[in-house]
Amino acid sequence: MPEEKISVPFEVYRYQPGKDTTARYQKYTLDLVPHTPILTALLQIRAEVDPSLGLRYSCRSAICGSCAMQINSKSRLACETQVGPEVARHGRIVVEPMRNQPVIRDLIVDQSRFWEEYNKIEPHLKLDPRRPMPEGKATSMTPAQVDRFKEVPRCIACAACYSACPAAEADPGFPGPMALAKLYRFAVDPRDTAHEERLRRIQPNGLWLCLRCHLCTEACPKDVRPSERIRDLKEMAIAVQGATELGSRHAVGFKENLKGAGQLNEMKLVRATDGLLGMVGQLGQGIRIYRKKPEIMKKPRKIEGMDELEKIYAALDPPPKEGP
Amino acid sequence: MRIAYYPGCIAQESAKELDMATRWVCKNLGIELVEFPNFSCCGSGFIDEANEVLNIAINARNLAIAEKAGLDVLTICSTCQGMLTLAKVRMQDPKVKARVDAALKPIGIEYRGTVQVKHLLKVLTEDIGLPAVKAKVRRPLHGMKVGAFYGCHLLRPADEMQSESGEEPRSFEDLLAAIGATPVDYRGRVMCCGFPIQFVKPATASAIAGRQILDAKAHGADAMATPCPLCHLSLDAYQNKAAKEVRAPLDMPIFHLPQVVALALGASPEELGLSRHLVRTDGALAKVNASAPA
Repeated sequence: MPEEKISVPFEVYRYQPGKDTTARYQKYTLDLVPHTPILTALLQIRAEVDPSLGLRYSCRSAICGSCAMQINSKSRLACETQVGPEVARHGRIVVEPMRNQPVIRDLIVDQSRFWEEYNKIEPHLKLDPRRPMPEGKATSMTPAQVDRFKEVPRCIACAACYSACPAAEADPGFPGPMALAKLYRFAVDPRDTAHEERLRRIQPNGLWLCLRCHLCTEACPKDVRPSERIRDLKEMAIAVQGATELGSRHAVGFKENLKGAGQLNEMKLVRATDGLLGMVGQLGQGIRIYRKKPEIMKKPRKIEGMDELEKIYAALDPPPKEGP
Repeated sequence: MRIAYYPGCIAQESAKELDMATRWVCKNLGIELVEFPNFSCCGSGFIDEANEVLNIAINARNLAIAEKAGLDVLTICSTCQGMLTLAKVRMQDPKVKARVDAALKPIGIEYRGTVQVKHLLKVLTEDIGLPAVKAKVRRPLHGMKVGAFYGCHLLRPADEMQSESGEEPRSFEDLLAAIGATPVDYRGRVMCCGFPIQFVKPATASAIAGRQILDAKAHGADAMATPCPLCHLSLDAYQNKAAKEVRAPLDMPIFHLPQVVALALGASPEELGLSRHLVRTDGALAKVNASAPA
């Protein structure tokens, strides 16, 4: 039995820099079956209603990664997002260009920064010239070695993760989820000989700006799970370089913090991360908070069974040298 | 219902008012809180960055404590909820479980994986249920427009957190409507509060917090409410910094989730520690008083 058509109200972002003074949202209503992909609907609008609508697309099969855009505020591929659930949830479909990249026209964005960040991590194998790849033969990797980065090659560079990332939005210094996931892929590839150099370079260059909000993992159409790969990079970076950055000092400081009482000692943590000098810089804010919440200065109660926690630490920390 | 109360560090320290409000709400809704002085900190996402397996083991120990007593766990912090759930999910991997068990078994701790971890939001909306909450409302928050602010770890990754939705949850809005408030729909409600990088790059952290507050404000919110004390710190205690970063005056009262529920159920501001907030809450409370006589 054919699906019944539903009325689908679209509000599509329209903007041509240099021509329009501000962006506007153009309304179109189409009758569509619920499983219609939003890309198909947009192409129907362009073919039948408004040929001036600008959008980027190619394969229509979630392979090329060209049609990422914001659909009701979520960064998604238009070709694999269907109209039915969106209308059911929101009553309409608001289509906007991806975030964190300047608009060229309508739904088309300039992806230069996204690709610059990708190129910066040197996304290619760095081999030892003394040990070239064997000519005409496959290089050997065990299945376990391949498994360590099995998710990342699925990436189709659609930039949905970059669009969804609040760190990329707030801080131009952040490389973005895709570039970091790709970095991870080379940092665990046994054929690559620049693991430590890669991890050293990325630390001051934004690794610790990741908020672990997991919006990238939610946006990714290929389940690359960039936020989890970034977590892996953080642990690996600490393993090769120790706690040298503010972010790694905070993470390691937190881990050490619990050894005292099993609960967080807030003041001790600030001291471990910022040092005494840094604490002086925060004094004003600290006093403001202390006035209302004097407990920030209080030493936490020691938990019962602290000896158990100590034994867990003794068994599992520091981690074995080969990494996570 | 009886449940193991996992307050987390912050509610026992700088966010004592969250603990006060939780106890008030649970007492009035017939939720018996069983306390365990041997619960440790969840690691707050930071230990996970430094040592993933250690983080899992610490939380497997926490879970095992409640499991042994035959109780599920109640959390009142999005991050605690996230870390305890993450341990549960990772322990399903036999390789991880073997490593963690090797550390737990010698000290007599067994984690079986039968325990559920529930945030107060879920207990109120699913276990107690909205009709039962609504039946207890004595002073509906009519006239108060509230922007729910979920906190990342309660929602994402949605598959691992077994959350209602990674980006489009609605349970908090449903709860707000049940207690008479008007929920505000805005994009920032599922975004990050900036807290995790407060120590890495304070200006960026505060800019992110400021963005979400401005978004709630632009959509007409009189106040925001959060199920996470870390979001609360970022949005309330550091709101002055956020205002500076977004170059806009901000005066947004930030409630803890149980505080708004308790207010509707008849608690006084004193019982809920509202004077402990950095941003005054009277403006938002006045909205209720103006339109709904007690």
